[in-house]
Amino acid sequence: MSDVAFSKPVQDSVPKINDEVAVGEDLGFQRKWWKFETLMWWVIAFILVLNFAGFLGRGPMAHAMLSNDAMIVKYERVERTGTPSILEVQFQPATLGKGLVKLHVSQSVVNELGAQRIIPSPLDTAVGRGGLTYTFTTEEAPGSVQFALQPSKPGIFHFTLEVPGSAPLSARVVVMP
Amino acid sequence: MFTILYAVAGYFFLMLMVRLLTRRPGAQMTMFEFVIVFLVGGVIILAVTGGDRSITNCGMAILTVGLLHNIVAWTKARSARFGAIVDGTPLVLLKDGAWVDEVMRGMKMAPEDIMAAARMKGINSIFDIKYAILERNGTISIIKAKKETA
Repeated sequence: MSDVAFSKPVQDSVPKINDEVAVGEDLGFQRKWWKFETLMWWVIAFILVLNFAGFLGRGPMAHAMLSNDAMIVKYERVERTGTPSILEVQFQPATLGKGLVKLHVSQSVVNELGAQRIIPSPLDTAVGRGGLTYTFTTEEAPGSVQFALQPSKPGIFHFTLEVPGSAPLSARVVVMP
Repeated sequence: MFTILYAVAGYFFLMLMVRLLTRRPGAQMTMFEFVIVFLVGGVIILAVTGGDRSITNCGMAILTVGLLHNIVAWTKARSARFGAIVDGTPLVLLKDGAWVDEVMRGMKMAPEDIMAAARMKGINSIFDIKYAILERNGTISIIKAKKETA
């Protein structure tokens, strides 16, 4: 004798077509799903357009620039996690030509934005004031320093760059997942 | 932690994309659909594991997807509506010798797809089909018309 317990009787619960084939079709649900599908394809097309424009990073709208009397900073206002990018600091002619230039960067450039290397290598690095102060040897203009960035996690981060004696430049960077 | 979050996001994103691509990526796959499935799957793998290719990280991603799949299967078994959202609902494509045009267009099916399924059943004429039903798993069930005897 079997030990299997049959406790629930079989019911003919699946809706039939023409009262002969049990299919379980739900055309009402399917019509709603087709509407949802159409909507989602428009949403997808919109996301792709945003991406081409650079609102999700690596496009024309993602490029940004800051400037003051000491430097021009070119950066990406929208970054992507794990994707390399360049933050470029172009020193104004007045900043160069003194033999040495100091550049203070906030710790977020290294920690959150993931600075991998600095081109060219600085002559000296000092730690303090919530960041790092790099010293570069300079000649006549033009001259620039590049930070190779590679953020390791998504989020919204702020950074500050400052040439001592000038106003600091700050910006916000959105790092996409 | 991010691997688990990315695996969860990747799982539901892939599920949505497969559902939006209609049911053809199921059993009626052509070479064209194979390309889509492998391409999308490959891209999701890159995003989920990121630069961390350690066994621990990949193992976490697999465990997360496995657990999610189990939860989804459990929920599907208990909720018909959730099952319909995830797998869709069976749809009648051909009924009593007439195409159900709304469904054929909606599911982007061609008569050739139905005839391919019919031939698997040894049917070589569209007039010998009474019902053609697109199942939730993407297969097309064919029910033969009864031959009238004189």
